[in-house]
Amino acid sequence: MRTRGALLLANIITGLALGFTVANIGFGDYAELNRMFTFQDLRMLLSFAGAVVIIVCAFALLRVRRTPGRIHAGVIPGAVLFGTGWAISGGCPAIPIVQVASGYLPALVTIAGVTVGIRLCRWANARYFHLDRGSCGL
Amino acid sequence: MSGYWPWWAGAAGLALVTINYALTTDRSFGVSSAWDRVLHWRRERRLERMDEEFTDDRELVEALAAATAEHFGTSPGAYTVPPSPYGTSQQPETEAEPAASENASDASPGPAPLVTQAALLVSVFLGGLIAAVTSGRFHLRFDMGPGFKELVTADPVTMTVLLFVGGVLVGFGTRLAGGCSSGHGLNGCGRLRPVSLVATAVFFATAVAVSFLLWKVI
Repeated sequence: MRTRGALLLANIITGLALGFTVANIGFGDYAELNRMFTFQDLRMLLSFAGAVVIIVCAFALLRVRRTPGRIHAGVIPGAVLFGTGWAISGGCPAIPIVQVASGYLPALVTIAGVTVGIRLCRWANARYFHLDRGSCGL
Repeated sequence: MSGYWPWWAGAAGLALVTINYALTTDRSFGVSSAWDRVLHWRRERRLERMDEEFTDDRELVEALAAATAEHFGTSPGAYTVPPSPYGTSQQPETEAEPAASENASDASPGPAPLVTQAALLVSVFLGGLIAAVTSGRFHLRFDMGPGFKELVTADPVTMTVLLFVGGVLVGFGTRLAGGCSSGHGLNGCGRLRPVSLVATAVFFATAVAVSFLLWKVI
């Protein structure tokens, strides 16, 4: 399934299912998110961890192609910034979209912040960092 | 809060989405990567066009080599093609694809077309909207809910500033780290990529520390 149309269809199905699933798990709910990160409620944590375990087993069984990934200098600082931003705003890049879709209008500000941050990173990397950061979405 | 899926349903849902994408496309998806490419669409479109041109060049060179070989009755032999911008047009079709190989980096299919990345983001919105409406949770509001009010701030101006700053940190951080909770967390950890395992551990640990600060201290 490599043609443009097939990829488009796969992305539409994945986007719909992903938005539907994360919204129903409760990732768009700030209170639920804080309860997950402070281990007051393990439901969402188990959802995520359980998904990773299932995926690891399935990918191993189905021999899914491994993609290379080099640990570069941007990984740890970037992950620290992301973790901080996620805990403050309640949004990893997909979640503010789901929050707006659920009626949380201030999440539009989070989306604006995400777009500024992404553009800033590409600019800063080209000018200062010069890191080959790779991309998870290939 | 009631009404959300139990953990096993959430785990099954996220796993199905990720496994289905990998099996049908032989790729990983990443929301921050999709954002990055859609936001830089002009440059990405230019790269895509250049890539298409290089693909055409390769086809032309192949056709010329085949015609020459036919004319002179020799084998086409080696030829050189300039590198394509994405480096995707040069993989010889005749080479067996090491689908199950650990060292399959050369078989990387290249970035998904830009339009598919935009479709992913729009579909996430639609999927979220369907979930909110069907579950009865859709409610237009100008705050981020009681949890945010209680734990972070109830002041609308401070809320706006914090959401923006948080968003900038998320955008900058995910791109610097090369992925987010979907790209590194689900797809990368699922493939046991060391970089994804490190990134996920670090962003999760940081989010835990900051959330404890918000809950207990601030």
